[in-house]
Amino acid sequence: MFKFISGFSFSLCRYARDMERPQNSVARTPTDSIMAQRRSKNKSYRQSYRSCLGAASRLSHTPGWTARRLNTSRRTKSHNITEKVNPEDLALLVKTEWQLSYVTPLYQFRHTQLRSYSRQLSAFITAEKQQGLAVEVEGAQTSFRVSFSAVQGLGETDDDAETVLLQIHSKPVFAGKDEAQKLVWSGWLTCINGNPEYLHLLPKDFTCLPLFGSRGAENLTSLVKSWFQQTFDCCFGPLEINQTCLQWLAALWTNCHIESSIQHLKMIWTLPVEPPLQITYTVNSQDVWELWNSVRNPSLESREEEEAARSIDIEEVTRFMQGLKSHFYRHFRLDLSAGRLSQVSSALGSAKFSGRIKMSNSRYVLTTLTLLTECALLKMPI
Amino acid sequence: MAATQNLSDSDQSSVSDQSVSSRSGNRSIRVAEKERRKNEAEDPFVLSLKYFSDVKAGTPFHGNDKLEKNLVQVEKVAYSQGLPPEAVSIMLEFAMSLRMGTSACVRVLKCLIPASVVPQEAVVRAVVWLSVGKMPISTQVLFIKWVLTVFDMIDAKDQLRAIYGFIFNFVTDENLCPFICHLLYLLTRKESVRVFRVRKLLELQSKLGRQPFLLHLLSLYKVFCPELVTLSIPSRMKSGFKNHISPWKSALIAVQKRNGLQGASSNSLVFTHKDKTNPRKRKHCHLEFPDLIPALNKEAQSEQSSSRRVVPLVQLHSFAQLLENMHRIELPAQMGSLLGSSLALQYLDCVQDESALLRLNFWLGYAFHEEFLFCGDGGPSQTSEEALQFLNKLLSAQHFLQEGFSSSEVFLYKFLNVWDGSLLRPQILGLLSNIPVVPSSQIRRLLFEPLMQLFFTSSLFFKCGLMECLNNMLLKWLTWHSIYALEDDLDISLNSHTSINMTLSGFKDSVMELIHFVGRLASVGLQLEGCHCLLLSFVLDFYETVCDTFLKYGLPLIVMPPAGVFYPALFATDPVSVDRLAYIMHRYKVNLTSAKSQEKVTEAFHISRQTFREFNHYVVVMVNCLWNSRMFHPGMGVQLGEELLLKSNVSQYGSSFDLVHHPAFMSYAVNFHQKCWPGKKDMDLNSIKHSKPWSWYLEYLFTQGYDGLKHFVQSNISWQLKADDGQGDAQQR
Repeated sequence: MFKFISGFSFSLCRYARDMERPQNSVARTPTDSIMAQRRSKNKSYRQSYRSCLGAASRLSHTPGWTARRLNTSRRTKSHNITEKVNPEDLALLVKTEWQLSYVTPLYQFRHTQLRSYSRQLSAFITAEKQQGLAVEVEGAQTSFRVSFSAVQGLGETDDDAETVLLQIHSKPVFAGKDEAQKLVWSGWLTCINGNPEYLHLLPKDFTCLPLFGSRGAENLTSLVKSWFQQTFDCCFGPLEINQTCLQWLAALWTNCHIESSIQHLKMIWTLPVEPPLQITYTVNSQDVWELWNSVRNPSLESREEEEAARSIDIEEVTRFMQGLKSHFYRHFRLDLSAGRLSQVSSALGSAKFSGRIKMSNSRYVLTTLTLLTECALLKMPI
Repeated sequence: MAATQNLSDSDQSSVSDQSVSSRSGNRSIRVAEKERRKNEAEDPFVLSLKYFSDVKAGTPFHGNDKLEKNLVQVEKVAYSQGLPPEAVSIMLEFAMSLRMGTSACVRVLKCLIPASVVPQEAVVRAVVWLSVGKMPISTQVLFIKWVLTVFDMIDAKDQLRAIYGFIFNFVTDENLCPFICHLLYLLTRKESVRVFRVRKLLELQSKLGRQPFLLHLLSLYKVFCPELVTLSIPSRMKSGFKNHISPWKSALIAVQKRNGLQGASSNSLVFTHKDKTNPRKRKHCHLEFPDLIPALNKEAQSEQSSSRRVVPLVQLHSFAQLLENMHRIELPAQMGSLLGSSLALQYLDCVQDESALLRLNFWLGYAFHEEFLFCGDGGPSQTSEEALQFLNKLLSAQHFLQEGFSSSEVFLYKFLNVWDGSLLRPQILGLLSNIPVVPSSQIRRLLFEPLMQLFFTSSLFFKCGLMECLNNMLLKWLTWHSIYALEDDLDISLNSHTSINMTLSGFKDSVMELIHFVGRLASVGLQLEGCHCLLLSFVLDFYETVCDTFLKYGLPLIVMPPAGVFYPALFATDPVSVDRLAYIMHRYKVNLTSAKSQEKVTEAFHISRQTFREFNHYVVVMVNCLWNSRMFHPGMGVQLGEELLLKSNVSQYGSSFDLVHHPAFMSYAVNFHQKCWPGKKDMDLNSIKHSKPWSWYLEYLFTQGYDGLKHFVQSNISWQLKADDGQGDAQQR
C-alpha cells in the first residue's frame, strides 16, 4: 500500500469553501467584476496559489484525510437490523457472494427517479444486446426488466445515502410464453457509516454510494457499470479486500461467537514460493474464541463492561493474528507472516482478497458493510 | 418574371464590366445603360431562361428544336461556370413541375450545377412538387440526391426545417427512405425529435431490419433526446451515410474550382462519427477518454433548459459554432470526454461549474490511480503505450489550459513515493512542472523528500530532467504570481470573511524553499556528476529564472546561488557556462539595484544585508579571478595555503583563472595571440594583458558572442585605459 498523504482532501475543502462563499460584487467596475469572475474560476480545477495555500494552513491537521484511513477501532454492536430493514430486502443481501467494486460519487443521482432509471437501464441493456437496433426508452416490453429499489433503514447515519438495490429479470431465449422472467443479475450500491468529513465536503449534486456489489453474468455487470458511468459520470474500479480488512473480519466474526456460533475460522494463506504454496488453516471455534479472549485488552474490560465488549481495537486484532501465526509456526515451522492472507471464512460469512464477500448472517451485515465502505472510500481518487 | 429581373440585376456587374472595358468608358451613363440592356436582351442564356420560365405545360418534349436549343444553352453555362441562383430557381421549378414530362425533368436535374448558392425557396417549392405524385420514383430519388449534394449551398435552412414534418412523411416510402433519412439527418434539431417520429422510425426498423440510414438518424435523435431512444451502433456500421453525390460531384468540383470557391460542400456531407482508431479491446479501458455524449438525466436542469434551447457539445464542430452557442452549451454526460476534443477544451476553459470540474477531477484521478497506483498484476509497464498516449493528451490539455488539474497533483504526491524515476519520465516530469504552489509547510514532505531520493539515485539524465522540471515549475509559479499581483495590487489575502488567509509572505516562503532546495540539489548533483556541463547548463537555466524574480515577475525576493553552484560555473571548462554565470550575475546586479532604489521610495520590502553581502562577495571573486589575476588572495572564497600553492609548481597561480588563462578561454587567447602577432614564434599569453591588447582581446571575446561577459564587465568594472596597468577594479557597492 502506498502512503496516504494529505493531498487529497484539500481539494475538496476548497470546493466546499468556495461554494459557501457568497458572491460579493459590491460596486465594482465592469472590468473589475470580470477579473473577479476569472479569479473565482481559477479556484476550481486550477488551484490558484491562494486557495491552495489557504486550505493548506489546515492541511496538516485536516481531520478529513486522517479519518480516511481504516478505523483503528470499531464497535461491534449487533443491534437488531431486522427491525429497521425490510426482511425481504435483507434476505436479498445475505447468503450470496458478491463481487465488490468501488464507485466514485454519482453526479445528479436522485432516489426519486428510480423508476425512470429502471426504464432507461432496461432500454440500454436491450440496445446493447441487440447491436444496431434502436430501442424506445418508454417502450412497453423489452427483453430485460430492470428494477431499482431503495433499501430503507440500512443507513446508519443521516449522512449515508440510502442503499439502492438493482435487479435484472429476463426471460430465457427458448422459454415458453407463459414462463415467468427469471432473476439473472442483481447488485447494490451502498454507503454505511461513511466518513462524515468526506461526505460533507462533497457538493450537493453528488451522491456518495461508494460500495458496489454485483452478482450475475459478467457482461451484464459491465453493461450496468457503463450505464452508470454514462448517466452519473462516475467510475467503477475493482475493490479488493486487503490484508488488514481480512484480519478485521476474522476478528469481528470471532468476536460474535458468543452470540452465534462461527463453527470454525478458516483462513487461506498464499506463500510466495515456487511453485506457489497455498495453506488452508482451519481453527476450531472454541479454540479461536479462547485465543481471542486472551488477547482482548483487559484494561478496557474492567473499566466499562458493556462498552468494551463491543469495541475492538486494531492492536487486539494484530495480537490475535500473531497468536494464530505463532501457533502455526510452533507446529509446522512455517512463518505465515511471509505470506499473504487471501481468504477468511466462517459460518458467518466469507471474504476473499479478490473482492468477493458473502455475509451469511443478517445480524452482522452492518458491521461488515461499514468496514467495506471504509475500504471503498479509501480508494476514492479525490 | 420577377426572377428574370433579379437575374439581370445580378448579372449587371459582369456585363457592365465587359462593356466598360471594351469601350473607352467616357460615354455618358445613359448610353452605357442602353447598351447594356441591348446586350442583355441578346444574351442567349437569358433568353433561354426566359423560355423555361414561360413555357406552357404540355409542350411536347420530343422533336422540340427550340427546347433543345435552349436546353443546350443552359447546359453549356451550367457545366462551364455553374448556374446563378435565379437560374437554379427557374430550372428547378421547370423540372419539378413536369411541364414537359419526366425526360426533360431528369435532364434538367442532371445539369443543375449551382455557381454559388441555391435559394431555399426553390428547394421548398420543389419538395412541394414532390408530393403532387405524378413523378416517377427514380426521379424523386434523383431530386433528393441533388438536394443532398447541394445541401451546404442552400442559402438558408429555416424554411426547410419548418417543413421537417412534411419531409418526414416521405420516410415511409421504401425507395426514398435512405435518402430522406440522410436529408432529415442534416435538418434535425432538438425540437424536431418527437415521440411519434421515434415510434415511426422504430416501426420502420422492425420492417426493414438493421439499416445504417435508420440507425444514424436514430442515433442523432438519441443525441438530442436520450430519454426517448437508445441504441448502440456496432463498429462495422459506423461508416455513415453513403455518399449520394456521384452525378454532380465532378462537375460541381470543376465549377467551384473555376469560380475560385473551396469545395467545402463535399466534405461536410460525410457523416462524422468518432471512429475508434484502435478497435481491439483494450485491457485497461480506464485510460480511454470517454465519448462526448449528451447527458441523460436533465431533470435538475429541465426548468432552465425548457426556457432556453441548449446545444449538446457533440453537435458543435467548429470554433465559430462554439462561440455562437457559448451561452447555451450543455455539458456532456461524462466530463472526462472534454479532454478528448480540442474544441471541448476551449469550452472547458470557460466552465465555471464547480461540480462539473469535480466530475472531471474524479474521472481523471480515477484513471491515474487505477493505472499507476492500484495496478495489481503486471504493473503499468504492460500498457505503457496507452499510458503514454493518455499522458501526452493530458499534458497537451494542461498546456492549452496553462495549468494542472488538482487530481493530477494529488496523484503525483502519491506517485512520487513509488516512482522509479524512469517510467514515463518526460510525461511525469511534465505533469510535475504543472503543479500549483505548494505551501511551504508541506512542500518538504510532499515534494522534496521523494524528489531528493529520486535525484540522488538516478542517472545524469534524470537529474537534468528534474532540473528542467523544477525550473518550469518555478516559472509557472512566478507567472501566476505576476498575474495575481497585477490583479490584486499585491493584496493577496482571500476575502476577509474566510478564516484562511494567504499572504504574499506565504508565497515567498514557498518560492524560497523551492529555490533553496534546487540549490542544494544542484550543489550535490554537480559534485556527484563531476560538474558535468550538461547538468551545469540546466542548473544555470534555473538561476537565469531566479536572478530575475524581482524585475521580471515582480516578486520582492532575491536569492543568490550557493557556492556549490557558483564555483563550478566559474571554473567550468566551457566558456558558455562562464558566460552565462556572468550574465546571471549581471541580472542579479540589475535586480538588486532596482530593488534598492524601490526600497528607498516605498519601503515595500526589505532585502537582507546578507544577500547584498553574498552578491558583493561573488562579484569580487569573479572580478579578482577573471580580471585582476588575484585568484588566491586572502579574503576570497577559495583559499589555499601558500606552501600548497608553491608545491603545485604553477608559476603565477594568481592569474591561472583570468580571462586569458582560464581553461575555458585559453583557446581564444591563443587564437587571439596568433592573430595579433602572426609572426611571433614563442607565445607569451601574458602579453595580452597589456593595456591595448587587453582591450582588443575583450573586444574579440565580445564579438564571439559572449554577451554575458560583456554585460558583466560593463556593469561591474569601471575601467579606463591606463598606460601601465590597463586593468580596473571591481566597483563595489
